[in-house]
Amino acid sequence: MRGHAFLVGTYHEGSSPVHRAPLWLKFLLVCLTGAAAFVLVDWVVSAALVFALLLLHLLAQLPASHLRRTAAALAPMALILGGWQWWQLGLPAAARIVLNIAACVLAAGLMTATTPVQQLLDGLVRASGPLRRFGADPERFGLTMALMLRSIPFVLGAFADSRAAARARGLERSPRARLLPVVIGTVAYARQTGEALAARGLGDADADADEEASAGEGAG
Amino acid sequence: MSRIEFDGAGVDVLDGAGAPREILSGVSLTLTEQRIAVVGANGSGKSTLLRLLNGLVLPTRGAVRVDGLDTRTAGAKVRRIVGFGFTDPLSQLVMPTPREDVELSLRRVHRDRKERRRTAQALLANFGLERLADQSIYELSGGERQLLALVTLLAVEPRVLVLDEPSTLLDLRNRELLRRVLSGLAQQVVFSTHDLELALDAERVLVVDDGGIVFDGAPHEAVDRYRTLAGARDPGAP
Repeated sequence: MRGHAFLVGTYHEGSSPVHRAPLWLKFLLVCLTGAAAFVLVDWVVSAALVFALLLLHLLAQLPASHLRRTAAALAPMALILGGWQWWQLGLPAAARIVLNIAACVLAAGLMTATTPVQQLLDGLVRASGPLRRFGADPERFGLTMALMLRSIPFVLGAFADSRAAARARGLERSPRARLLPVVIGTVAYARQTGEALAARGLGDADADADEEASAGEGAG
Repeated sequence: MSRIEFDGAGVDVLDGAGAPREILSGVSLTLTEQRIAVVGANGSGKSTLLRLLNGLVLPTRGAVRVDGLDTRTAGAKVRRIVGFGFTDPLSQLVMPTPREDVELSLRRVHRDRKERRRTAQALLANFGLERLADQSIYELSGGERQLLALVTLLAVEPRVLVLDEPSTLLDLRNRELLRRVLSGLAQQVVFSTHDLELALDAERVLVVDDGGIVFDGAPHEAVDRYRTLAGARDPGAP
């Protein structure tokens, strides 16, 4: 099941201007695109935004397969949401909503495809540094966020696997056959990931904390 | 070599009715050899025994210590000196590419990203994985994944490596590769296996059956003992 996890959100090595752009700039692009989705009211402007993001994908020299996979992942939701909005609000509004969502996905995809996970992790750790004074552990925060990003493609893959397995058994109309394996698989994946991190000592509190903990136990 | 002590270590789990069930009875032994194999049938308690070594499982009774550090009270310190590898390497690779996964391990030892990158590159090159550094981990072969999983463990220079059935998912060629790599490691290695040839490479072999250690000694005698035990359990045996 995890084999699907590489289909979306993988970093593509390169030396394009987009790859070399600082992380804060890419993050700003994602935030501005997200904000624009609430502000833009004209589908022509939304289409222009999507076009601009596609140009950035070209500039980043990402393989065509990257866009194809993004489009394939987006298509079912765009069809359902677009159809519903067309019926409720008319074609221009439906087009605007779908294009705004596509813009957000393209911006986020551009950032993850041109930034190594480790760089994202470093950025998050740096950004959450000020929270240390409130007792937060930036390293753990960064690791948690990286794992969350990493889990999204897994869950998408689990849905695809479950759908295929249900179809193979002639159970494509059974919600239970399509959803239950996703829930079970996702929980198992979370446990497995947690165990792997524990085994590698990642996310462990500082080793010195062991002594404090055992001293505390003794005192208690 | 490190000194690994099991001091009456036993593990219970709760069964379906909530009652405790013993899956490992009080084990008392000291391991100081460089290569130690653990053999036994599926469900015999091998994995539980190994997981006790870096605190993935804590003993219900007794204690486990590595170089004097108790896994219960100094778990994080123990995990810094004991690396643990799973049967399926995908279980322990959490980043999308080999380079990123090795760099993740190195976060504990190098704060500087460039330094991490350089070290990861050198480690991958040492094990012939340099050309695969930026490929998806899902595009690697079974042998390459197992090798990569080892590299992620070795990156933090553990004193002890614990490997749970490292050769089970490998074909013959990759098993041979793993054997060569393991034999060249300076670390103390404790591994469980169904591959009796691999077990024969060890200096000491423990035979585990039904949650207890039924033999502890030289490899050839241990393998004979395991074969006898497996034969006695085979319902088709004469």
